[in-house]
Amino acid sequence: MIAFIDSRWADILFRAYQHTSLVVQSMILAAVIAVGLAVLVTTIRRLTPVANAVSAVGLTIPSFALLGLLLPVVGIGTVPSVVVVTFYAALPILRNAVVGLQGVDSTIIESARGQGMSGSAVFWRVRLPLSWPVIMTGIRVSAQMSMGVAAIAAYALGPGLGSYIYTGLTQVGGANAVNYAVVGTVGIIVLALLLDALLVLLSRFTTSRGIRA
Amino acid sequence: MTQQTTTGAALELVDVTKSYPGQKSPAVDGLSLSVPAGETVMFVGPSGCGKTTSLKMINRLIEPTSGRLLLDGEDITTKDPTTLRRSIGYVIQGGGLMPHMTVAENVGLVPKLLNWDRGRIASRVDELLDLVGLDPRIYRDRHPRELSGGQQQRVGVARGLAADPPVILMDEPFGAVDPITRQRLQDELMSIQDELQKTIVCVTHDIDEAIKLGDRILILDEGARIAQYDTPERILAAPSEDFVADFIGSGSTLKQLSLLRVGDLELTEPQTCRIGEDVAEVTARVEAAGESSVVILDERDRPREWLFLRTLGRHAVVSEPTTELQTVVDHRSTLSDALDSMLVSSHGGAMVIERDAYIGVITYDAVTEHIRSLRVEAA
Amino acid sequence: MRTTALSREDRLLLFGLPAVVLVVLAGWCLWRASADLGDIEARALAWDAVGQLALEHVLIVLVCAVLVVGCAVPLGILLTRARAGFLAPAVTAAANAGQAAPVIGVIVLLALAVGFGFWTAVLALTVYAFLPVLANTVAGLRGVDPAVIEAARGMGMSPFQVLRRVELPMALPVIMTGVRTALVLLVGAGAFATFIDAGGLGTLIQTGIIMFRHSILVSGALLVALLALLVEWTGRVMELFATPKGLA
Repeated sequence: MIAFIDSRWADILFRAYQHTSLVVQSMILAAVIAVGLAVLVTTIRRLTPVANAVSAVGLTIPSFALLGLLLPVVGIGTVPSVVVVTFYAALPILRNAVVGLQGVDSTIIESARGQGMSGSAVFWRVRLPLSWPVIMTGIRVSAQMSMGVAAIAAYALGPGLGSYIYTGLTQVGGANAVNYAVVGTVGIIVLALLLDALLVLLSRFTTSRGIRA
Repeated sequence: MTQQTTTGAALELVDVTKSYPGQKSPAVDGLSLSVPAGETVMFVGPSGCGKTTSLKMINRLIEPTSGRLLLDGEDITTKDPTTLRRSIGYVIQGGGLMPHMTVAENVGLVPKLLNWDRGRIASRVDELLDLVGLDPRIYRDRHPRELSGGQQQRVGVARGLAADPPVILMDEPFGAVDPITRQRLQDELMSIQDELQKTIVCVTHDIDEAIKLGDRILILDEGARIAQYDTPERILAAPSEDFVADFIGSGSTLKQLSLLRVGDLELTEPQTCRIGEDVAEVTARVEAAGESSVVILDERDRPREWLFLRTLGRHAVVSEPTTELQTVVDHRSTLSDALDSMLVSSHGGAMVIERDAYIGVITYDAVTEHIRSLRVEAA
Repeated sequence: MRTTALSREDRLLLFGLPAVVLVVLAGWCLWRASADLGDIEARALAWDAVGQLALEHVLIVLVCAVLVVGCAVPLGILLTRARAGFLAPAVTAAANAGQAAPVIGVIVLLALAVGFGFWTAVLALTVYAFLPVLANTVAGLRGVDPAVIEAARGMGMSPFQVLRRVELPMALPVIMTGVRTALVLLVGAGAFATFIDAGGLGTLIQTGIIMFRHSILVSGALLVALLALLVEWTGRVMELFATPKGLA
């Protein structure tokens, strides 16, 4: 095992980097889309239950099935990985952003308006900061999930550590099968835990001290 | 068990102590107390004095570290706690009802644990709901969240009485309801207790409640040290130490209003009329008597409304009142409660009932006159 | 069941989900019956072949679900008893690390360790779906109002009676949500069973990709997704019935 890791050190690091990069970039995209949608559906109240239903149903669809549905449309490689990871990353963030934005006390918003804040100022300086802890929780859930989804998406020749797992599978009985699978799996667990720790820190530093738990 | 008129049992605590690991002084330090059968004892004291801990040691929800508990002379410290609890009623703040069970299931809980047959449980449930003033046909199959706070508390009391236990423990039983409801519930408990003569141990932080409900009051200081254990009259008249005097507070003349019952004072009798009577006739009768208001009674002599003639004059016949009455007190209510009720009345008085039937009106003037005479006596 | 008490979101899902599933499934059946398929597709998508795969898939999910509920609920009960409370932090830590593990990794590693086949798939998926049920059992039981539990004890209920007649009924809705989550995860992860020769609808996806036949691939993906939605809906209906009338 040690010899295996030693001889492929550079490749493992590169794939770990790819994996992280795929997840982080997709998540940034997902966060922007999800928060944007959340603002839209909390403004137009009729849409809120629809959005919640969509995120519930979306999370129900198995990632492997979605990948299968996408391949004929976008081909194999990095693109389906990005689409699938972004899709699943967006759903928990959307759900939490809706809950968070709805949870902001309406009297606070009213008093902000009463001070003469414009609509966008109310959003950036009142609603977003106050709902931020809830949104961050959604982002953490989404990060955990995205790490696993990215591994699955590697089946369609996507980037990252997932390909090690599939290599292990195809080399069953070979000398390195277990090594590949272990490095892939454990590597992803380590990355997921690291990313989660980073997000916890980020959430501490970006949450107003007045509402920190 | 006992062959007396009371259905209660004597309860004795002997040197009961509860200490928690890691705490310097015991929460309850050697409490000894005897409660005569059929009496109501109120535990009062500042928060953290160990009154609730003491109460919960009686049904061993909290196990005493040392000491003995005797129920009618029998040592219950070594009894199986689950069996023991089925023979001791327990009523807690807010009722503590099981939200997923109906009112009937809640009330029938202990009888069911005791394996009563179904018919007996059902008739017992109805009997108890009647006793606490809830119509079984309406409330039997409701769930607790469909009831008001006061109704939930009534169900809680009924549940505590269900298996006819000789001893009932109550932990702040009326702490979660509004003052008017609390007063009503206290009155109801008193009349139930008149009838059943249980041994009741009740924890409260409200000294007025203790004076009103208790045959005896136990005033506890830190570590459940007994500051005074006596009847309300004697505690008010002769507090044993400064701590007690501070605790019952100033104005002990006014506190005595919690000891006096409405029925102790002379009631006045303004003109009355029935629903359906002709308004013109009623007006003539009232004016002839030199009065300006009239009490409306229904066919079962229950007071329904107390109106000024000018309000009555809007209709041809006396109509069914639609508002819920707030200014009615039972003749066994305390003067202090009667004063509370008068505050919401525009007549400076409250209507008095005995077994639901109207017997007269108590006026603010009568109460103040009585206070004056008490002061003169005291001076 | 009082439909009036349902939120709009619940109603959307309760009535919308089966409608979507039925429409899409009917559409696929129509296509399958009418499309002019090549030799490979026709064999892969033969009615009885697809039925067999669906059956395998459902079987794996059901066996895992029974195992998960049978193990995770008792463990959750154990962890919430005062005497076993010291175990909770260790189990929570293990569970959180487990949550970060990618399901495909778990399946492949277990297969390499104990061999391919149905029971390996069952074992791997059971481990994978364990957490939501355990977490919800613990959360549900912890969420029961302590005053109600104390009242129940004060009435003279034995610890077992308190658990069976008070704690479990009140925690049931939360536990059922965990079971639903687990079931849906199982349907999704069941698609990987094919990788370790345990069959299931994932076989169609894999065959489709390997043979580069889009119709097989999409059929497999579609059927897996429909099964997941159907299970989600069943779970929601069960939740409604599991909620004691006085709660909801």
